[in-house]
Amino acid sequence: MKGLFLRKTTLQGHKTMPLKRSVSIQCYLLLALPLIGFFVFTIYPIIWAFLKAFFYYDKNPFNTRFVGIENFINVFTKDKSYWASWLTTFKIMFMKLPFEIPMALVFAVMLKNVSKKSGQFFRAVFTMPNVVSTAIIGVIFTNMFDYFGFINELLINLGILKEPFNWFGSTIGSLIALCAGSLWSCIGVNILYFTAALTNVPEDVYEAAEIDGANTFVKFFKITIPMIAPVFRTILLLAINGTIQGGEYIIAFTNGAPGGSTLTVGAYMIKAFLPGFATGVPNVGYGCAAAIITSILATMVALIYQRVSIKMKEVY
Amino acid sequence: MKQHIKKIMLYIFLICLTVIMVFPLIYCLAASLKTNMEILAMPERVFPKNPTFDNYVEIMGSGSFNVGPMAFNSLWYSASSVFITLFLSMICGYVFARGEFPGKKIIFAIFSALMFISLGSITIYPVFDILSILHLNDSLFGLVVMQCFGIPVVNMYLVKGFIEGLPREIDEAASIDGCSFTGTLFRIIAPMLKPILITIGMLAFNGSWNSYLMPALFTMTRPDQQTLIVGIMEFKNKGEAATAWNLILAATATALIPVVAVYTIGNKYITEAFIAGAVKG
Repeated sequence: MKGLFLRKTTLQGHKTMPLKRSVSIQCYLLLALPLIGFFVFTIYPIIWAFLKAFFYYDKNPFNTRFVGIENFINVFTKDKSYWASWLTTFKIMFMKLPFEIPMALVFAVMLKNVSKKSGQFFRAVFTMPNVVSTAIIGVIFTNMFDYFGFINELLINLGILKEPFNWFGSTIGSLIALCAGSLWSCIGVNILYFTAALTNVPEDVYEAAEIDGANTFVKFFKITIPMIAPVFRTILLLAINGTIQGGEYIIAFTNGAPGGSTLTVGAYMIKAFLPGFATGVPNVGYGCAAAIITSILATMVALIYQRVSIKMKEVY
Repeated sequence: MKQHIKKIMLYIFLICLTVIMVFPLIYCLAASLKTNMEILAMPERVFPKNPTFDNYVEIMGSGSFNVGPMAFNSLWYSASSVFITLFLSMICGYVFARGEFPGKKIIFAIFSALMFISLGSITIYPVFDILSILHLNDSLFGLVVMQCFGIPVVNMYLVKGFIEGLPREIDEAASIDGCSFTGTLFRIIAPMLKPILITIGMLAFNGSWNSYLMPALFTMTRPDQQTLIVGIMEFKNKGEAATAWNLILAATATALIPVVAVYTIGNKYITEAFIAGAVKG
């Protein structure tokens, strides 16, 4: 475009301005919908939430009253279930990610060693669960982990369990079921991310190592991991963020069973404050305060992670 | 020889893994052909003894759990969602790739930051307040209208990157021939965007067909507008679930088939989008 203007300027002089202005106007017109949407559906709701956080507000105008920072104080001092949901979030993170991320990396490396065609096939199959709705994962896995379900029967037949285990009756059982579904759904995408990272590792490094007599394990730990450490760091950040933000999956799967003990923070926000999901009349003002605190804490987790993991960037 | 054995072991392992990965889907499809008795009594026998399509017949015609209208809602909602997403990401990508206007950098930065600013689900309240002025807050149609004003940030990046890879001479030639800035998008650029638009369209289809929370919120007071996913979840949460697993799983299979079919046809586009996103991110 710049080249075009230059030519027009030399040829026609004063005619450049109208053309340039016309392009600007067209740009603004084309962006009109997103720009309106930005102010109406993004900025306004955020301002609204920041204002309402200082009120008691349950959608009934007669009950609305200014309460100052009481909502924020209550989140910190009184709301045990909110903080329990943060604890659950970290529990799920520490149960799931130590399996998901290393497994994804190992599978990605394995897929590098098969022929191109079969690599594509396996990658496509492993990524398929990712297109399945979180709600449907919930339904299928609820059935499989049912008291009379497939998993119990399988474990009994293998001799691991003596009698059926009530997975959704205990917190740990529910968490295991949640992690299993989540692992099944997410591992494919992580394999793809690692595959992309691995293609950037130059092949001659491996060849040099082979000449020096390095075996598969040495190559994996001394070359592959250091070479992709920066990408590894990003993938882990995405996975951590996904666990904190994703509440829909928990709502659709266990819905907090047993007794709300498997609600992550995102799921808790849905179940406690959203119309149709919350029981009774929620104090939306309080929900706004909790949402603000949640997003500040989520940002802090990300920042702390960046801080702690800075070494990974400098490995190689 | 040793290399060969290694290779074979690797393939056997990967095939086992493939079986595990597709198992939940196969299990769901197979169970949807069983009676409820068989699902509960014989869960370890994956494939049905006497396959029957009764469950599908029942959910297509029964009063309490009627999948037909839900599937129709899912279909038109996903179709409009795909169309809107394609249109918006094409426009945003083009304007930021080729447009010259005051404030371009700032607007682009703000739009990009949208990925990170979010207060989560609570902001549905003010959004409903706005939509209720237009009487759109309690229908699936309202959700579609809202999407018209959305900013598809990731898709915008994909299109922008793609257009930046096209030679600028094409635009200049069009402009010299008298094609306007907007005209160049629709007449010249849009046809060349086909590969990236297929990717975006597929992702948008998956996203909208699979979404649960937003359609559930928008159809709270309008059960007749429930999408398939919302309907299945409501039925599951009713507590009748234990007595009607066969119906739930048949409905689930109905909801699964379109996304799996789309993925099977176009997985190349989807996996490539993921890898491209990872490399850029």
